[in-house]
Formats: sequence, structure tokens, C-alpha cells
Amino acid sequence: MSGWQLFLDSFWPLVWGAVSGTIPLALASFAIGLVLALGIALLRLSKNRVLSGFARFYISVIRGTPLLVQLFVIFYGLPSLGLVIDPWPSAIIAFSLNVGGYAAEVIRAAILSVPKGQWEAGYTIGMSNGMTLRRLILPQAARVSVPPLSNTFISLVKDSSLASLILVTELFRVAQEIAAFSTEFMLIYLEAALIYWVICIVLASGQGMLEKRLDRYVAT
Amino acid sequence: MTRAPRARTLLGLAAASVAALALAACSTGAPAASESAGDDEYGLVNAGTLTVATEGTYRPFSFHEDGSGDLVGYDVEVAEAVADKLGLEIEFEETQWDAIFAGLDAGRFDVIANQVSINPEREEQYLFSSPYTVSPGVIVVKEGDTSISSFDDLAGKTTAQSLTSNWYALAQESGANVEAVEGWAQAVTLLEQGRVDATINDKLTYLDDVQTNGERGLAVAAETDDPSLSAFALTKDKADLVAAIDAALEELRAEGVLAELGEKYFGADVSE
Repeated sequence: MSGWQLFLDSFWPLVWGAVSGTIPLALASFAIGLVLALGIALLRLSKNRVLSGFARFYISVIRGTPLLVQLFVIFYGLPSLGLVIDPWPSAIIAFSLNVGGYAAEVIRAAILSVPKGQWEAGYTIGMSNGMTLRRLILPQAARVSVPPLSNTFISLVKDSSLASLILVTELFRVAQEIAAFSTEFMLIYLEAALIYWVICIVLASGQGMLEKRLDRYVAT
Repeated sequence: MTRAPRARTLLGLAAASVAALALAACSTGAPAASESAGDDEYGLVNAGTLTVATEGTYRPFSFHEDGSGDLVGYDVEVAEAVADKLGLEIEFEETQWDAIFAGLDAGRFDVIANQVSINPEREEQYLFSSPYTVSPGVIVVKEGDTSISSFDDLAGKTTAQSLTSNWYALAQESGANVEAVEGWAQAVTLLEQGRVDATINDKLTYLDDVQTNGERGLAVAAETDDPSLSAFALTKDKADLVAAIDAALEELRAEGVLAELGEKYFGADVSE
């Protein structure tokens, strides 16, 4: 089989690995992670010392330990406590917790970037704290947080290749399987790299569109 | 499969666009460097030194004493004895099994010493020294699991194997649903946790596990008929080095060194 033929033959299996593994894994983890991150960010901003302390602790643990170790603790470690979680849920739990830690700081910074006067404006027209947050602060914070959150998401897409180490079949695992049997490591890994790259190009253009859309909140 | 790996790689590179080119520039640097060091007869990666790839996590073939001590093991000591015979320094590069052949292809090592079994697919791609380990494969299951007693019984069962191992292929041929893992340690962990039904590996690996970890609820369900032969693996351009290694192994065998090393690690001569 020629190299070009192998490249073509592995293309659809690799793309399928991305479509059935990498992309849903990244999307599900990012969605759950983002909700978690918003909660953690609000806890961290809370005046209650216990709550903000908990949020600080959480962020510190997540950012202070390697993602691979977090994955292994959940998949290989928890069974010693009698908790056996399947590969896919294990991966989603680990990636969500991870995104939760990193994105919480992004969201906190974005909320803090909204001028204090905006809160006062909300109170002045009789809005409650929560309403001010939802109607005034978060829309403005969202615009600021799009570039850094896009970074988090793009990192997540690539980090999802680590799930291959806990038996999840995604793009990189498919690449490993093909490379192992064809022994064409260079070719197959470059092909996988190319597909990751294309996915991230698409995400980056999505970021551009989202930024433009959120600009509607800015007075011109 | 054609016989021109380099040509195929280049074709692939052409296809893989700009990022590929940047990486290819790095990779083509490596063989050139090894050629310039070609003043020694074997074409070694580093002149005067035998660069040996091994896992370092594969008891009792290649591992660290007490977990964090010196690199030791049957394969490590055989490789050391061979390098000694050849009058070469030896340098071990520890790497994951799944990356070990990729590293050999990339010209990072001269030889792999990690219980590499000889099989036809690999022989098409690589050169092998004469074998220095002879051992059957075994199916390891949880003690009391009577549903597996032969390789045929693996059909529909789940086993854990490392991707590029010959056991992976054997498990697949037997109809098993194969989960790819890093190595023996993870495979046995999954087995103990009930996430897979079995794992196939070298009998020697299993025996050593029993010897070091004691009985831990595992059992041998079946054994292969034909034993597997393990040897040093090298790239096809290293024929001179293979001949020299074979001569060294022959001497070590005659001097009883191989038998001695087998005794030390397995309580038996495993070299024939």
C-alpha cells in the first residue's frame, strides 16, 4: 500500500474518531464545565469566606495538578473506593472539572471587568442583585470572556486526546491503532495533527463570529 | 505493503501540508546526524555507544529496583552483557511501549530490548537478533472464572492488551473485544476491577507477578502451544550490528551467562 493510499484509507476512520469521540467529548465537557465555572466564579466573588475559600481551594487543586493525573485518579483510582465509572463518564467528569477550574477564573475576571457603576445603575432602577447580574453584568462580561474561553475550549479539544489513555476511542486512539498496525507513525500522527488543526480553525472562526455578535451590546 | 518506508513517509508529508513541513524538517535532521557519526562500523546513533530503548516499567525484563532505584531486569542485563562483548558503552532510553517502534524508526535508538516477540509482520519491517527468551503466552483471568478455558472461549469476551503487542493481535484473532492499554500493570488493574474479562501476556510476566505481588486472585486459563521467541529489534539498515549482537549472544550462551541471568530473574534458564 502506498503512503498516499494509507493516508486516504485512514482519513475517514480518523474523521469518524473526531466526530464520534473528540467533538462530543469536548462539547459535553465544555458545556458542563462552563456551568460549573460560573458557579465557582460566583462563589469566589462571594463575600462569604467559607464559600470563596472553597472556590479558591477548588481552583488551586485543578490548576495545580496535571489533567492526566486527574483522569487517572478518577478512572484507575476511584475503583479502590468501590466506585467504578465507565471510560466515557470518567473522561467527561475529569474534563468538566478541569474546565470548571480554569474557566472560573476567566469568568471572574470578566465579571470584575464590568465597571462598578453598572451594578449601581441596576440597583437605581430597582433591580435585585440577581437580576442585575443576569440582565446587566453577565451580557457585558460574556463579550469580554469570549477570547479567553475560546482558548480554554481549543485547549480542551486537544487535551481530549488524553482520554485515549483511559480506553475512550477518539481521534488520537484511532490514530494510535492505525499507526500500530501500519507502523507508519509519522504519516498517521501528522494526519491526526492535521485534523485537530482543522477542527481548531473552525472553532477559531466560530469565536470570530461570536465576538462580532456580542459586540451588539457595545454602544457605538 | 511496499518496501520503501522512507518514500512512503515523504509522500505522506507532501500531503500533510505546512505543519507537516515544519516537523519534517526536524525529523530529517536526525538521520543526517547519525550518518555523520558513521565513522564507526555499526552506524550507531551515538558513536561508541549502544543506545537501547526499553520501557523501564516491565517487570522483570526492564524495571527500576524498588520502584525508583537503578534500571535492572533480564533484558537490561542481557543488553549490558552484549554491549560489553561489543566493546561499546551502553545508554538506556526509557520510553512507553506504544512509542518504542516509532522511536526506532525515527533513528532515536539503535536497538529495542524489551521482550520484543518475533512475528512475521514485524520481520517485514525490522531486523531481529537471535532470540534470547523462549516462553509461551497465557490467558490470565480472575480466579474462579470458569467461562474461559481456551483461546476459543475469548470470542465475545473483553481483554486488555497494549496496542502494538503481538498479544493484541492474538486476542483479536481469538474474537475478543480488545481494549488498548499501556501495559501489564494497567491490564491487570482493569482485570482486578472487573472492567475486562482477561488479558493475554507472556507466561514469564505472569510468573514474575505472582512472585513479586503474591497471589492476588488471578489465574492462568490457557497457554499457547507454540512458545514466543523474543529478541532485540533493529531497523533494516543495521545488518552489521545484528550480526555482531548474534555473535555476542552466542558467546554469552556458551559461557552460561544467559542461563545465569535466567536463573536470577525467573529461577530457570529461559534462553532456549
